Amino acid sequence: MAAALELSGIRKSFGDFLALDNAELRVEYGEVHALLGENGAGKSSLMNVAAGLYSPDSGLISIAGAACRFSGPREAMQHGIGMIHQSFKLVKRFSVTENIHLANPRGPYHSGRKAILREISDKTRALGFGLDPYRRIDSLSIAEQQRVEIIKVLVAGAHILILDEPTAVLTEGESQRLLSMVREIAERGAAVVLVTHKLRDVKTFAHRVTVMRSGKTITTLDAQKATAEVLTMLTVGSTIIAPSRSAKPAGELRLAVSGLASRTIEGHTPLVNATFSVRSGEIYGIAGVGGNGQTELAAALVGGRLPNAGAIEIKQPGKEEMMDVTHATPRQRRDHGMAAVPADRQAFGLASSLSIVDNFAIGFMHQGRFGSPARIDRTSMGLATKEAVADFDVQGVRSLWQRAGLLSGGNAQKLILAREFSRAPSIIVAHSPTRGLDVRACAAVQERLLAARDRGAAVVLISEDLDEVLSISDRIGVMTRGRIVAEFDAPADRLAVGRAMVDHA
Amino acid sequence: MPDRYAVLPPLWAPRFFSVVAPALPHLILEVRSDMPAWKQAVIISCSIVIGLFVSAVILIGSGVPTADLIGEFAASVFDVRGFHAVLVQAAPLILVGVAASIGFRARFWNLGLEGQMVWGGIAATAVSIHEIGPEQLRLPFMALAAMLAGMGWVAIPTLFKLKFSVNEIIATLLLNYVATYFLYDLLYGSWKDPSDAYPHSAQYAAAERLPDIGFVNVGLPLALFFALIVWWLAELSRFGFYLKFIYANPAMARFVGVPIRSAVLAAVLISGALAALAGFVISSGSTGRLTQGFFEGYGFSGVLIAFLARNNAAAAAIVAILVAMLFVTGQSFQIFYQIPFSMVQMIQAIIVMCVAASEFFVRHRIRIQRRG
Repeated sequence: MAAALELSGIRKSFGDFLALDNAELRVEYGEVHALLGENGAGKSSLMNVAAGLYSPDSGLISIAGAACRFSGPREAMQHGIGMIHQSFKLVKRFSVTENIHLANPRGPYHSGRKAILREISDKTRALGFGLDPYRRIDSLSIAEQQRVEIIKVLVAGAHILILDEPTAVLTEGESQRLLSMVREIAERGAAVVLVTHKLRDVKTFAHRVTVMRSGKTITTLDAQKATAEVLTMLTVGSTIIAPSRSAKPAGELRLAVSGLASRTIEGHTPLVNATFSVRSGEIYGIAGVGGNGQTELAAALVGGRLPNAGAIEIKQPGKEEMMDVTHATPRQRRDHGMAAVPADRQAFGLASSLSIVDNFAIGFMHQGRFGSPARIDRTSMGLATKEAVADFDVQGVRSLWQRAGLLSGGNAQKLILAREFSRAPSIIVAHSPTRGLDVRACAAVQERLLAARDRGAAVVLISEDLDEVLSISDRIGVMTRGRIVAEFDAPADRLAVGRAMVDHA
Repeated sequence: MPDRYAVLPPLWAPRFFSVVAPALPHLILEVRSDMPAWKQAVIISCSIVIGLFVSAVILIGSGVPTADLIGEFAASVFDVRGFHAVLVQAAPLILVGVAASIGFRARFWNLGLEGQMVWGGIAATAVSIHEIGPEQLRLPFMALAAMLAGMGWVAIPTLFKLKFSVNEIIATLLLNYVATYFLYDLLYGSWKDPSDAYPHSAQYAAAERLPDIGFVNVGLPLALFFALIVWWLAELSRFGFYLKFIYANPAMARFVGVPIRSAVLAAVLISGALAALAGFVISSGSTGRLTQGFFEGYGFSGVLIAFLARNNAAAAAIVAILVAMLFVTGQSFQIFYQIPFSMVQMIQAIIVMCVAASEFFVRHRIRIQRRG
């Protein structure tokens, strides 16, 4: 039987950059086929070729044994290829039905809408979940929006589904539910390509896995038989050493958060009496299912949104007194030794249209490190950035004056770390610092957090990745419904932490 | 990474598993991530030329002989009187262009340039009417009063924006009308010139007129001086560095310690002060009194200049001189061919549209690919 989707000898370059180099992929009907690789390995590019978004420089695409060539995504869709992108292509102010109808016109408006409603209820029933077709997209959770995307391509008649990093934005529970659903779709006869960099997703849910590295497809293996070590070796090209814990005891109190409470904003879990403290030389990991007040906590800590009640007190090295910074501006907090690694890098971490040098220098500008108010010193800015970029191993820098937006996710994060950590901060608030990063970048970021800890910083690590929290924290607090419900000393029992996360929910 | 999203297909496209694809050329649009500055300059220059060409066609259509069209335009540069007129005209245009640029850099869309000019004129005239200060200091006093008035007028929408998030585009625009009617009230009322009863203020005294230095009056060097100051502030100072971040990503700027409120406030006050100074330069340098319509058309031109100059003060000064040529040419068309002066605004609008459309070529690359 012919393969559902077969890509052979695909080459694609952007300017001088060869994104795909002779890539091959063969996906059968009835299987979940994982496409595994680091960031920038070419997974998304290859799938964009399959979905008609990019036209390849050379190579063949065939669907069910017939060669085809797409002039655009619409034509790929007509051939039964449906891609679910990392950032959803939904109109936020439209309802579920309107969005699906918009993508799948069915004759006259009213009868078309009826047909769409019927198809939505058929598909949701078949897949076993509820979805109110009249809800507006912006009132849905991320996981629900993703389901709308899936229904959208199924209604369009897709028999080859491509999911680009679908679990990057989901919590653990949501990911599990999504992936079992995807497997269900495959077992009913569709072909599914799962683009991911998470080994665990591959091992649990994929039938076969193709590994990509720097634009080439390395090999295709049986996902169940391949061991995690082999897959890691293949994706990275070399093994990764897991960061280790230091034996030094924690020092004096640096950060005390007591009774923090925040206003209720629609769609957010407010903080309810969140209390914890962090010492010098310690990583305090905050574990929890996403949406339990982590965003509010981070905002309160860095000064993005002021809390309603409670207090945040800090103590700088060498000072006797605790200082209340509950109502301080972000700038005052920085001046008192706080550094922040925001969860949303694009929105709060970098100005992507400005240069790497600018994005680095801005962190030090108001303290007068780079020239007087009348004249900024571009030469010293450039030199300091060059040093920091080398120091923090920011890759893909063709010129220091290039736009920061051209950096890949992992390198953008390294640049943020370079800016935030070069000041030797005494308190660090890191929110999901490795979200969406590949194995190697993850390890680099975690090493930086550990190095800062070893230097004596107090680190708050808010993360929905339980493995990350468990592997690098010295103490772990579990956050549920806006409060810290349990604390564990490292090494913590994964099961006990997991139970605390769920019990109080 | 470039994202290909639109394709212009050949007239018929093979559907469903065609094996033999015809070899037809295929236009492909790709999004560019970056383009060198000089290429952008070439594209913008070409679009300005296209805009001028379209304008020329319209002018010829409305009865201007082709030879005169080029002649009048050239006269604004090569004729001594014409060139003098251009330089005098350029001074207020440079000021409003720079005023708009610095406001836009702080993401404050100051469409109230004309209102601020009106207040600049009113304040300067008040100093003249009430003979405030000794005669030798009268001009600096008038200039200062104008700038303070402009700052005061722009402070209103700014505080509304910072305190209550009131949209400044609408607020500044509507406040123009308030300023204009207040001006009419003065000119038809207490400030009406007693000597001829026309709705304009009494002639300024000789000491209240901008003196000539060399070829032109002091307005042009004054405007160039402020353009240089603003260029320095925006490009070289720490304040300008902050503005870059406020423009690029305000949310991020706040978290890395940029004093957003004070930087925006400073930029907007400079903007208001310079626009008001333009009002002073016209009334003291050209008309010699406060008139009814001295500010008309400058608001739009200021925005246009800032837009074409990409909010760069130095470039704004150059663009302003080109716009001044357009103004002077328009004035002679008005006299010799009875073509309304609004034609100048139409030409400006055509150029804006052409440049805005040329953005497409800055953002995209067009490739021709052969099918099959």
